[in-house]
Amino acid sequence: MPVFKTPFNGYSVRFSPFYESRLAVATAQNFGILGNGRVHVIDLASSGPVINELIAFDTADGVYDVAWSESHDSVLVAAVADGSMKVYDTALPPQANPVRSLKEHAREVHGLDYNPTRRDSFLSASWDDSVKLWTLDRPASLRTFREHAYCVYSVSWNPKHADVFASASGDCTVRIWDVREPGSTMIIPGHEHEILSCDWNKYDECLIATASVDKSIKIWDVRNYRVPVSVLNGHGYAVRKIKFSPHRRNMLVSCSYDMTVCLWDFMVEDALVGRYDHHTEFAVGVDLSVLVDGLMASTGWDELVYVWQQGMDPRAA
Amino acid sequence: MATTQSPSPNSNDDKPQAVSAELVQQANQVQQDVRPEATKQSVPASVFVNSEPIREDQVSNAVKFLSHPKVRGSPVIYRRSFLEKKGLTKEEIDEAFQRVPDPSPSSQPASLSQDGQANSLSSVQTQAPIQTPQPLPAAPTGIVSSGTVARRQFQWYHAVSAVGLLAASGCGTALLIKKVIIPKLKLWVRKVVLEEDNDYAKKIDAKPSLAEEAAAAAKAAAAAASDVAKASQEMLNSKNEERRRFEEFMNLMDAQVQEMKSMSNSIRKLEGQASSSGRAFSDHDDHRASASSTKQSYANGNVDVNVQPGRSFTLPASAEPPHPKSFMEKMEMIQRGEKPSNIREVNDMPPNPNQQLSNRLITPRTKPWEAQNGPRQVLQSQTSAEGLNQNGVDSGLNYMVDDESSTPWWQRKNVRITEIENEDEVKAAGSYGVKTNEQPSVQRTWVPPQPPPVAMPEAAEAIRRPKSAPKETAMQEQLADEQSAAHPSEVTDELQRITKMSESAGAVEMNGGFLTGNSTVIQEQENSYEGN
Repeated sequence: MPVFKTPFNGYSVRFSPFYESRLAVATAQNFGILGNGRVHVIDLASSGPVINELIAFDTADGVYDVAWSESHDSVLVAAVADGSMKVYDTALPPQANPVRSLKEHAREVHGLDYNPTRRDSFLSASWDDSVKLWTLDRPASLRTFREHAYCVYSVSWNPKHADVFASASGDCTVRIWDVREPGSTMIIPGHEHEILSCDWNKYDECLIATASVDKSIKIWDVRNYRVPVSVLNGHGYAVRKIKFSPHRRNMLVSCSYDMTVCLWDFMVEDALVGRYDHHTEFAVGVDLSVLVDGLMASTGWDELVYVWQQGMDPRAA
Repeated sequence: MATTQSPSPNSNDDKPQAVSAELVQQANQVQQDVRPEATKQSVPASVFVNSEPIREDQVSNAVKFLSHPKVRGSPVIYRRSFLEKKGLTKEEIDEAFQRVPDPSPSSQPASLSQDGQANSLSSVQTQAPIQTPQPLPAAPTGIVSSGTVARRQFQWYHAVSAVGLLAASGCGTALLIKKVIIPKLKLWVRKVVLEEDNDYAKKIDAKPSLAEEAAAAAKAAAAAASDVAKASQEMLNSKNEERRRFEEFMNLMDAQVQEMKSMSNSIRKLEGQASSSGRAFSDHDDHRASASSTKQSYANGNVDVNVQPGRSFTLPASAEPPHPKSFMEKMEMIQRGEKPSNIREVNDMPPNPNQQLSNRLITPRTKPWEAQNGPRQVLQSQTSAEGLNQNGVDSGLNYMVDDESSTPWWQRKNVRITEIENEDEVKAAGSYGVKTNEQPSVQRTWVPPQPPPVAMPEAAEAIRRPKSAPKETAMQEQLADEQSAAHPSEVTDELQRITKMSESAGAVEMNGGFLTGNSTVIQEQENSYEGN
């Protein structure tokens, strides 16, 4: 399985929704504490287990997340630690990039999500406690959602209802929002500690998973959100990111500060179905390909990006 | 169509069944006419809206919490956050805030018209005495906990010092016994012997022996006294020694405690603020103040040395994952004020902020979960794929040819119906960034798929009605902002977006849902437009 070495510490990896072999990687220098950042666009060579870098973009501050546009195959957005977001177009020459700088957040932008159904808007989650809604053709945000009492770490669009999204925050709650409503429509006090990531189930639009510093992942049904549907324990430290599978109804993947990437089937009694411990530092980014079933990628503070097929060893040659 | 819609589009727009949506809307309207207070709770169609009734017991607990003097001093947002974490809904929290200046539990506002109140009242009485102690101590526990920690430490200190003192006094008494009491005993024995002798000699010479006796007694007393003095001195010396040793011991312990305190402080600084609910609100305040006071311009490493604690997540101290060693080194370096040497000056501003995005090469594909909902979408993407495919290879045959050498390694295990455009992607990926001959020809022969059948007749009618407006794409969300001038433009924007959606290989489901939402919105605009 191929490995890509980044000069900076990895923070996020995302598959392109247009090209099966393309990924974007967000990295930050000095573990993201202080320093520059870089966005890599990498490609899996079809000839062998090699990863090529197509292009890289440097930023003044660390990049915490990256998201591909769902409407333009060559466009991606990067969330930068200085509160701005940079829009890149890989089809333009490198000198023309970035094509936009969207600066409104008062603090670091930590999460991004592009609308997969309506394809024209995206959300940014920031440590200034707010979530903002943007489109590529406007320099200013369309909406600001300010209700959380602490940093918002992650946002996720509902895969079926194009106006509904969820936000996970350090105030230990997950809020469900509707862009047509002024405020949140539901508050799920999911954990006793900070919630670092949330994601909707792609096949059941009422199920949402939350990952927390308390090392657990909980699956919630919004119709009955007082009690979780399932609690997934198994990580040794905080769970940093989760993603439901775009191909399997009950499967989700998670990465954690315990340096492992875990695969779960939450409808099964023994939910942990796979564990990959290829990283040697915090595993902070993981993604499942929408186009290729079973293809997954992860990155961590050990400055490596792995791409592998589910069931195979990421470190195998 | 001619009905007047009250502004609550949220509940029904998400229903993909366009036909039933209209019926639901009408039913909903009837519902709203019956109930004068059109709260969100009375419209349960959307699953993403909280539809629980207000729980009286939760509200009364919240009122007690909010009435606490310490809580009153904290910012409102932290009070709200605390109640949210306890599981109260927005409505319950608002209700509690309303009640706080007048905390009378018997008052029932008009909006509490839900069922189940009778049931909850009986459970309130049993739950209230259990639950009432909880919110009140919740706030002061944070303050008390730090005191108990200190007190425990004090007790520990006390215990150690008590043990030391006991040991010292034990040693001292042992010495005392050895040095004083035994000589006293000896003296007493000697005295007795002397007395006997004296008694024996007394009979011979009484008077002069008295004086001698007295002298002897005095001598003995003096000797005893000197012995006692010696013994007490030695005891004092030993005590001093003990005390010195003990003090040294205490100093060592103090030093260790100091070290531990400093370590825990540095750990806490790294962690930021622990988010456990037991913490007092004042802690949260201080942290936020320090976090927000850091300057914004920390691009290129030009940061105010005070690294904001928010950059690393808070964790309970026991569950702190082992950070990489170089991470700790970097943190310390930055906290000391040194900048890591590898930071460069990078200008990442866009050279042309109005740069046009390049034309897209590939139409967006349906998602796997959308494809499951209907086979029509796959057909649509197939027609577009055929248009894209240049080399005359029948796309239907592509995925049947599972040749090892042709499929890339990442696809070998799984062949799915969505991978029709494999060959194209490989080629497109190879020609990234370079305008090859393929790409212009791709655009030339691309055939736009047929627009989906109209799901909502009202929407179709609205589309056909001409509206003049400046060409500007806008989001549906903008309708929330009251701008009457923009209303006509927004209708045309919806029309443009509908045509855009039909161009893309989007799911009919999605289009249906979108059209449904649009029709409501368009009707709204119609009404407001007509009303103007």
